[in-house]
Amino acid sequence: MTPVLSRLTRPLGVLGALVGAALLVGALPWLSGDDPALGVLRAREVDRTADPAALAAVRDRLDLPADPVTGTLGFLGRLVTGDLGTSWVSGAPVADTLLPALGVSLTVAGTASLVALVLAVLLTVPALLRAADGRLTGGGAGAAVGGALAALPEFVLAVLLVSVVAVGWGLLPTSGFTGPANLVLPVLALGVPAAGVLARLLAGAVAAVAGESWVRTWRAAGVRRGAVVTALGRRALSVVVPQVLLLLVGTLGAAAVVEAVFDLPGLGGLALDAALVPDVPVVQAAVVLLVGLGLLVGGGGVLAHRLLLGPALTGSGLTPEVVPAGRRPRRAALAVATVLALAVLAGLLRDPAAQDVGARLAAPSWAHPFGADPLGRDVLARFGHGALVSVGLAVALAAVALAVGLAVGLLGRADRTGTADVLNALPAVVVGIVVAAVAGPGLLSACLAVALVAWIPLAVHTRTLAAQARASGFHVAAVTGGAGHWHLLRRHLLPVVGPPVVRHALVRVPHAALALAGLSFLGLGAGAESPEWGRALAETTGYLERAPWVVAAPALGLVLLGVVAALSDPRPQ
Amino acid sequence: MKRRTALLAAPVVLLGGCFSGSGDAGADGADRIRLALAFPPVAALSPWTDDAVLLTRMGAAESLVVFDASGTAQPQLATSWESVDERTALVDLRADVVFHDGTPMDAEAVAGSLNAAAAAADPPLRVLAGVGLTATAVDEDTVQVQAAQADPLLVQRLGAPALVVLSPAAYTDGAAPDPVGHGTGPYAITAVQGAESATLDAATGYWDGTPAADGVDVRFVDDAGARAAALRAGELDVVQGIPIAQLATLSDDERVVTTSLPRVTALSLNTASGVFTDPGLRAAAVAAVDPGPVVDGVFEGQADEAPGLLTDATLGAAARPAPSLPAAADPAGASIRLATYDDRPELPEAAAVLAEQLRGAGFTVEVVVQTYATLEPDLLAGAFDAVLGSRLTLLDTGDPIGYFGTDHTCEGGYNLARLCDPAVDAAVAAAGELTDPVARRQAAADLEAAVLSTGAVVPVLHEQSRTGVAQAVQGVGEDPFERQVVTVATTTGR
Repeated sequence: MTPVLSRLTRPLGVLGALVGAALLVGALPWLSGDDPALGVLRAREVDRTADPAALAAVRDRLDLPADPVTGTLGFLGRLVTGDLGTSWVSGAPVADTLLPALGVSLTVAGTASLVALVLAVLLTVPALLRAADGRLTGGGAGAAVGGALAALPEFVLAVLLVSVVAVGWGLLPTSGFTGPANLVLPVLALGVPAAGVLARLLAGAVAAVAGESWVRTWRAAGVRRGAVVTALGRRALSVVVPQVLLLLVGTLGAAAVVEAVFDLPGLGGLALDAALVPDVPVVQAAVVLLVGLGLLVGGGGVLAHRLLLGPALTGSGLTPEVVPAGRRPRRAALAVATVLALAVLAGLLRDPAAQDVGARLAAPSWAHPFGADPLGRDVLARFGHGALVSVGLAVALAAVALAVGLAVGLLGRADRTGTADVLNALPAVVVGIVVAAVAGPGLLSACLAVALVAWIPLAVHTRTLAAQARASGFHVAAVTGGAGHWHLLRRHLLPVVGPPVVRHALVRVPHAALALAGLSFLGLGAGAESPEWGRALAETTGYLERAPWVVAAPALGLVLLGVVAALSDPRPQ
Repeated sequence: MKRRTALLAAPVVLLGGCFSGSGDAGADGADRIRLALAFPPVAALSPWTDDAVLLTRMGAAESLVVFDASGTAQPQLATSWESVDERTALVDLRADVVFHDGTPMDAEAVAGSLNAAAAAADPPLRVLAGVGLTATAVDEDTVQVQAAQADPLLVQRLGAPALVVLSPAAYTDGAAPDPVGHGTGPYAITAVQGAESATLDAATGYWDGTPAADGVDVRFVDDAGARAAALRAGELDVVQGIPIAQLATLSDDERVVTTSLPRVTALSLNTASGVFTDPGLRAAAVAAVDPGPVVDGVFEGQADEAPGLLTDATLGAAARPAPSLPAAADPAGASIRLATYDDRPELPEAAAVLAEQLRGAGFTVEVVVQTYATLEPDLLAGAFDAVLGSRLTLLDTGDPIGYFGTDHTCEGGYNLARLCDPAVDAAVAAAGELTDPVARRQAAADLEAAVLSTGAVVPVLHEQSRTGVAQAVQGVGEDPFERQVVTVATTTGR
């Protein structure tokens, strides 16, 4: 424990990360080149014409710093004395709005992470039992279900839950945050897709651990089934717990869309509104708080991994085995992929741009097999044409994330918090605005913004698995035998770490498509009339109840893509 | 093992809760109106910001005058007024008005309130910018208001939401007046929970009768879908701003109160750079735009095709001269970028329809959609060839000339078309001098024709406000200025 604690408290690194994050935010007005006084005036009075006199008055009142460095130093100076500063827009102390919002977000994100973990474990139980009996091949059904759930867009799920559970059945309140009943739907909207990712990882981990020789030995020795299940589960969980903590921190400042659907006064919405103005004192305080929490929890993830593995991690008690991959993908994956491909092909033969306002939201018919969108455009055509952009980009992004994640996870120091934890804690809108300011609007910038954060879960996953592999007997033996760094990496680490991380990257492919669309309001991403799936979903979710087919086509597309990705890793021989 | 359990249980501790205080203070069977307003307060309900309209919408504060559909001042806290000279007016106050804190609303209080708004608001209030307003108490219930120069809109300015009259105790903090318990409306604010909710109780001794309900519980809900869902689930009685997309999902238990607004959705063509510097191509674009599919399709009939920039209600009896456009030129595939924002959910769809119409006329169109906050600097800098935007034509003073001044003159601060036409500038300046309301309306109609004749702006439609109410609710304000939602007569019908 001591080395971990010492790393957690490594004052210089942590301080550097906090100052860096604060400086980045403090520089927002300079990066974008837009007058912050204009933003503040607009935030206070939407319809006001920004005459020079009014702008000058706002500038006087704000006491704008001369440059980002001076401003950030002032902010940090006040922070040391416990003063979070004053909002540029409302003139009220930042702490008054920020701390309650953090409380709300901690409650929601904490519960959602826990629910995600529990759901994922429940999905993995059958595979675990089969593994204990030595009957498991591959990831089991949990992998496919996980892949499908992981591809569910959170905001679509949120709107669906509101209209079915809250409005339709009247079981729970639609919005607000006045009691535990308000927590259920947001937690499900955030937790279910996350559970999908975790279930996929758990399934993979169980399959990998099930192949280790000790399981055969224990079974042959007649060890109780319960004991084998517990031991297997513990090993599998150790891979997932760091991911849960990552999820917790990542959700704190990035759940703005779900917060809006449920009218939750959380940190994501607060950071989003403040970053758009830009209300620099509010964003700075929010980001420093989030990054601090991220580093703390990141350290907790390392700690949790150690606790779950116990002394095995420091000895040479682990025996991960390389399962030789088969050559043929599974039939189920092929079948789903064929259905998807046929639908895409059918869509490609049709015109995605032809409008017919008279056919607004028309139900599926012979003329429009998948129905029509709000402008009367053919949903099937847009589905097909959107697939090219969505799937292509998402796969490319996942590949980049995989490469970076593997490199960082394998080459970085084995177990410490770092850049990944800082980036993971930043609200997506802050990353988006910085990228938009530096690289300008467009699809490429959106890809850059998504790639900046997409590698993190993969790097943490790699880091976790590599720590286990390094603790294995064969690795220790190779090191003792004088094997070189590259040899170790190629022959002993990559074969163990690679396949599970590739599966993880695959299950996040639909995520990448959605993340791209999530930045479109900043001018990042596919053009306004593009049929890209994520964009189509973001634009039409409001019509979910009236015209479910408009939302169903791209949403099902993503889910099927998730299933294909989850099943496409070859069945072990 | 113990440590591990503690670690995994950590998130459960968070469940201990960070729930915000609920707004239902009078849940003990009292007849309270549950209201959702569309925007959260930006500055703790200070009337010197956009929060002012929140105060009037929830029935907490009132101004001296209000506007009728044409934008003409009508009595509210003032009963009558007369011009002394061209920069001075005497305002008679209603006699029996008492602030929520028990202080009587006398001339001293009103003068103090107006002077604070004129002197202390920082940045200066838009309605008083450059006016130099001073107010003095003449006697118990007469206030003299005076501008630094001749001001034809002096009394009209008193109808601005920023000039709601609050009790002297509200102005102890010089930077931001505190409206809690300090207004004159039918309901008195008793508590504000941040930017989430507010609680109001019926004001005893309200000057215009007894409020019909016991109180109002206000929630500020940003997301239009969330507001509509809460109304449908029966969690709210009155909901401001039901989006078009959700209209069809309302059941027989809810209905929508619509009011035509002096708000124009128009396509501004960039006259200073790019394709539309050519008046002939502007004329081609004007000819290409057909508002019909936008109104009937995108807005599902919940809007009015625009006969011009101003509404018929604004112009009243004034005749609209027909604009005369130059002959349309052939676009020949000229490439344009059309920008709009997604803060109003109908705009991106409308932009797509208009883009298709322009393509049909021979333009090559790229549509750009962003959130308003990131788009505004580019809009004002003239970065696009065309901008589809939504704009109030009657703002604080109920007078349309100001709109032409900001939006269509060389020095105008919101001139999206970057129009700089000496004739228009001169006409705006001349119209601003007129004092006779009828002459001002006619001048506005003439101005509209002058602006439309340049082809710089293409009016598409006039919007309507949509307030969703539970079927039994009666007496919700139908105000073209969207200032009154809960009134003294609003009942839940429970």
